[in-house]
Amino acid sequence: MTGAARFDGGFVGEILAEPGGEHLLTCWSCGTCAATCLVRRFDPAFNPRLLLRRAGLGLREQVLSSAEIWQCSACDACYPRCPQQIHISDVIRAIRNIAIREGYAPPGPHAEVDPQRCSGCAVCTRACPYGAIDRVVTFIDDQERTIARVDPNLCQHCGICVAACPSGAMALETVNDRELVTRMGAGGWLERPGMLQGGADAPRILAFVCQWSIHADSEWAALDALQSDGLRIVRLPCSGRVDPAMVLLALTQGADGVLVVGCAEGECHYLRGTYLGRGKVLLLNEMMKQLGLASERIAFAQSGALDRRVLPRLVDQMRADLVRLAHEPAAAAV
Amino acid sequence: MDKIKLAVYWASSCGGCDIAIVELGEHLLELAQVADLVFWPAAMDFKYRDVEAMPDGNIDVTLFNGAIRTEHDAHIAALLRRKSRCLVAFGSCAMEGCIPALANIQGKERALHRAALETPTTDNPTDVMPASVIVIPEGELQLPVLCNLLRPLEQVVPVDYTIPGCPPHHDQVWQVLQQVIHGELPAPGALLGVDPLTVCDQCPRTREGKVRVDRFLRPHEFIADPDRCLLEQGLVCAGPATHAGCGALCVNANMPCRGCYGPPDGVADQGAAMLDAIVAAMDGQSDAEIRRVLGTIVDPVGTFYRFSLGSSFLQQLVASAMGAAPCAAPSGEETHG
Repeated sequence: MTGAARFDGGFVGEILAEPGGEHLLTCWSCGTCAATCLVRRFDPAFNPRLLLRRAGLGLREQVLSSAEIWQCSACDACYPRCPQQIHISDVIRAIRNIAIREGYAPPGPHAEVDPQRCSGCAVCTRACPYGAIDRVVTFIDDQERTIARVDPNLCQHCGICVAACPSGAMALETVNDRELVTRMGAGGWLERPGMLQGGADAPRILAFVCQWSIHADSEWAALDALQSDGLRIVRLPCSGRVDPAMVLLALTQGADGVLVVGCAEGECHYLRGTYLGRGKVLLLNEMMKQLGLASERIAFAQSGALDRRVLPRLVDQMRADLVRLAHEPAAAAV
Repeated sequence: MDKIKLAVYWASSCGGCDIAIVELGEHLLELAQVADLVFWPAAMDFKYRDVEAMPDGNIDVTLFNGAIRTEHDAHIAALLRRKSRCLVAFGSCAMEGCIPALANIQGKERALHRAALETPTTDNPTDVMPASVIVIPEGELQLPVLCNLLRPLEQVVPVDYTIPGCPPHHDQVWQVLQQVIHGELPAPGALLGVDPLTVCDQCPRTREGKVRVDRFLRPHEFIADPDRCLLEQGLVCAGPATHAGCGALCVNANMPCRGCYGPPDGVADQGAAMLDAIVAAMDGQSDAEIRRVLGTIVDPVGTFYRFSLGSSFLQQLVASAMGAAPCAAPSGEETHG
């Protein structure tokens, strides 16, 4: 395979000349980056070490046409661990820039704007951790309008903009509002009354879990086994995708508690997504307290890169809180 | 052609919605040529018994402003629903509870206590509290009983159309009345008197788009740059989560949008949408920082749900935690006197 690919010595020079690409050749190919890479956990075909190696060998076409160059989310989990202090996401971005100029594009999916519903309010452009959204002037039904536009080359499909958009104008395959509500309520889960409503013997918990916050396949498998009438897990690309309206909707229906699980501080796969998730839960808690409602019905919890099997513990903890609430409703007002 | 029979009513409201109708000015003369006002307590002398004497469905269109605060409000809502072929929730109170719904945050007893004893303008040396029945030498006086929860009209009786705004802009009111006069109303359930999209679409300010803020401010704390996006200056502006229709009045007066035109089309909970939009605009690269930034938002419920608490998911949670009916007498049918 390598032998068949055309060697292009000029490619290395191209990368070195691109801002961020300067450190390509300092790579030792030790593989520490691959060992820490979160993307790799989801897609073993992604290997930053191999990517840098191929680029260093000048395999221009092979590198530029690969799907892998688009997969790095610049979480920089590898950066502090690299013995050569290579900012690998910067090198990959340099390679992407060359690919974009050559007409390559990421395979998708990416966020999409509904021009009929977009007001150009700029909430999404501020929300996007990657600066992938801009506003452009365009003509819609013969009217000059300013609307959002997503750069598919920069979009990392985290879904944060979909949650942030106050007009429902932003869409992203598999994490649209309707899809999430369907996953929350599948099998009539939301319609069955909760313990606080006097309908169930045990608390019913809805957990929105960031897909990067749980690190081992065996853990996901264990979680799937835990799903029952008392626990519904909805996997999100990022805790920043959590939608406050969905949290509240769940509580008005059959969920006694809503648990949002994100990455530990500083470990977010999408740069600032976990802060958005935390921020939303923080304000929701604040509002519940203002209204004299039990704020412990909504909780944010973190699962760090070195944590294992934390979710069952978090769920048990919330269950205990909710049982206490159900038995002494007066505590709700505190 | 028979004249259209039109009614206007106010329940728990400030009177601003009636002013919005008076603001039609000369259009009122045009209106008088094609419509008879058969009931408008704020402007003319009518008696409830006149309405009770009407056959059911006698009124063509009733513009109902104000929320349902008392059993009496609920009673009149039921009465007007019966007598009207078309009932319109007119203005933010009738649509979503508006400012009066903020009394639901701490409940009616607290609201009553605050209003009767604590406000700076109250002079009540003997701490008299309003009561539903007061006996005086001449006999017994009655006041309507407060409901446990203030509710929008739709939660009490079925509503055909809704006109948002606190109050609805008079130009929009006239547009709607013309639709009524010419029989051009859309299918029931529609939101009337609005423009497409959100307030941001009508806002002339410059949005840089990538500016995040490290503290939120309230309007009295600084004088905002009149040309830049207010949210990007740190003001909690509800423009992104508010239906267009007012013509961006507040932002043109250098004040942030408060959100009185309700949520954009297809959005269920305005405050939740607002919360998400505000969090997206927050700066901060650590847990401590975001706590500090979001801590600068004073009164999140009153800020995000200033007008829409009555129709929110939160109100549903308050109602179910209350463990009592929102109103003691279901429709208050017997409470009129």
